[in-house]
Amino acid sequence: MQAFHIQYRNTQGTLMRILNAASRRGLEMPYVQATPVDHEHAVTLLLEVSPKQIGQLCRDWNAIVDVTRVRAGVPFTVATHAASEWTTPHLPASVRVAANAATGASA
Amino acid sequence: MLKGSEIVLRCLRAEGVELAFGYPGGAIMPLYDALPDSGIRHVLTRHEQGAAFAAEGYARATGNVGVAIATSGPGATNLVTGIADAKMDSVPLVCITGQVRNAMIGSDAFQETDVFGLTLALTKWSRLVRSIEELPAVIAEAFHWARSGRPGPVVVDIPTDVLKAKTEFAGPIKFQPHPKPSDIHGDTTFTETLIALLENAKRPVALVGAGAKLAGAVEDLRELLAYLQIPTFATVHGLGAIPPDAPYYLGMVGMHGTRAANLALHETDLLMVFGARLDDRVTGDPSRFAPHARIAHFEIDPSQLDRVRACDLPVIGDLVETIPAFYSAVRRISLPDWTQWRAVACGADRAEPNARGLASPTIRFLDELFRHLPEDSVIVADVGQHQMWAAQRFRSSSPRGFITSGGLGAMGFALPAAIGVQLAKPNTTVVCVSGDGGFQINIQELATVKRLRLPLKMVIIDNKYLGMVRQWQELFYARNYSETDLSDNPDFVEVARAYRIYGDHLDEDAMVEVPVNNAVSGMLERFLRSPEPELLVFDCHPEANVYPMVPAGAALSEMIFEQE
Repeated sequence: MQAFHIQYRNTQGTLMRILNAASRRGLEMPYVQATPVDHEHAVTLLLEVSPKQIGQLCRDWNAIVDVTRVRAGVPFTVATHAASEWTTPHLPASVRVAANAATGASA
Repeated sequence: MLKGSEIVLRCLRAEGVELAFGYPGGAIMPLYDALPDSGIRHVLTRHEQGAAFAAEGYARATGNVGVAIATSGPGATNLVTGIADAKMDSVPLVCITGQVRNAMIGSDAFQETDVFGLTLALTKWSRLVRSIEELPAVIAEAFHWARSGRPGPVVVDIPTDVLKAKTEFAGPIKFQPHPKPSDIHGDTTFTETLIALLENAKRPVALVGAGAKLAGAVEDLRELLAYLQIPTFATVHGLGAIPPDAPYYLGMVGMHGTRAANLALHETDLLMVFGARLDDRVTGDPSRFAPHARIAHFEIDPSQLDRVRACDLPVIGDLVETIPAFYSAVRRISLPDWTQWRAVACGADRAEPNARGLASPTIRFLDELFRHLPEDSVIVADVGQHQMWAAQRFRSSSPRGFITSGGLGAMGFALPAAIGVQLAKPNTTVVCVSGDGGFQINIQELATVKRLRLPLKMVIIDNKYLGMVRQWQELFYARNYSETDLSDNPDFVEVARAYRIYGDHLDEDAMVEVPVNNAVSGMLERFLRSPEPELLVFDCHPEANVYPMVPAGAALSEMIFEQE
């Protein structure tokens, strides 16, 4: 299982778009928790995914208009190098993200 | 005080909208009531799918945002295929749908569908407007997202009571997006890495997609590739970006690409991708795609990276910034000598066998048709065998000269899309190339063509089959032609006549003579020069196939060819 944390502005349909990225791949969602965080919202998902899907999902979520942060691994509240955050113009290729996430984020 | 409908239309005008396509109905009636005084020209299509495709055609031809309008329920659901098409092919499209009044939403009212919900997966952004006060901000935001970054479709669903309500209107507003940590800005730090890859490459190639066109970076890309002189090929949406007579240009790549392009892509050790999302029709078997290559991927949308294979160097950003940055850097180094590789990749022995078998007359017909076209003409192709034949024979260097439904592969696209293109470019020769199957999916738009007296030239390649499906049935399903027979097609010329459009037949026997005789040549010349809409039905052999072909699941190097 892989944990994902997605922070977003709680505008119409944004949470649905986030969940759709998983459902369109036929992924089970055994754990979904959405909560307010400061002025935004965050949703935590546990998904059974392949390393390739980790990269695909993170990029899909980042492409959603009102998503502000995406992290595969530990939550935003935990400062660690072991999580992969998608905040730079040069997003790393999925292999690098997958490797990072696998070491720091298994749930 | 203005009504909601008037506010919507004023906001559309403020966004530069001069033309919209649509089909009225109950919930959207207030908008149509205000339309005549809006300054926006409305084109009534005969089906909402036609409106969406026509708006797409307009957008694809101009780069501007296309607008489609429909009512609630079935009107909105009929837009869905067009919305999905725009999503796949990165077309800026704003769809405005009427909705039942606020108090009725969720009650399964007459003509109520959850349009917002059903298009969530297909749109880049969408809103169900709940109050008249939201309208200026929603319209501004809709256009921002439709045209920014990787363009795409958006939906604005407006309840009828919001359209009827009145409020003070302070004028259109400009949308200011929230800053996002991952916002993409042109970044030039990739150049050193890419130059290092290039300096070590023995067999570099370039793959050109639609991204360079969408970014307005075609000239920059041409300059770069003319400097590098490396074997270059294009996706179906990249056609026209590179002049076809460039000595390093190998044509279209992928399932029905040229032998030279597919072999070069299979052999390369450095693949530079410029604005293409590496669709499976381009890659063949992903596990054997460019097996020896390192990949540098120029792309504005990070979600398109690594979908098929992990790239070694993602170059995220607007191609209009990243390509010049790379060109500027690469000019400062001494390039390796790739003469030998270029000679191999572009050599005459890489050309595919001439044999086209039963498709030969059709290909000769398309060659002759295209030969008569002015350079700035636009071909709008539907989906199927004729689409691939047209793409293979397209020889223009007009970047927006070949328009088709590439990602979604939506049959029925061409006729309404061509209407949008012709309206966008009234003085340009626009040729709609369809199959007999696809033409019948939106055949009702002949009425739109006639009403507008568009000088559209419509060609049907009529093989009396759903030809591409039949081809697969022939090759991979033991000739079990299940439900692909269209031998009872109507007489399309008579159908056109019923719409008061002139039509004519051309039998494939007319294309046997080489060179094509003067009578046929003259016929095509007259057809293309006519100021009126015209239809030309070309009777194609029922069992003509498109070759080369990479079978599904095969590597690009495993093309099959027509047998002599």
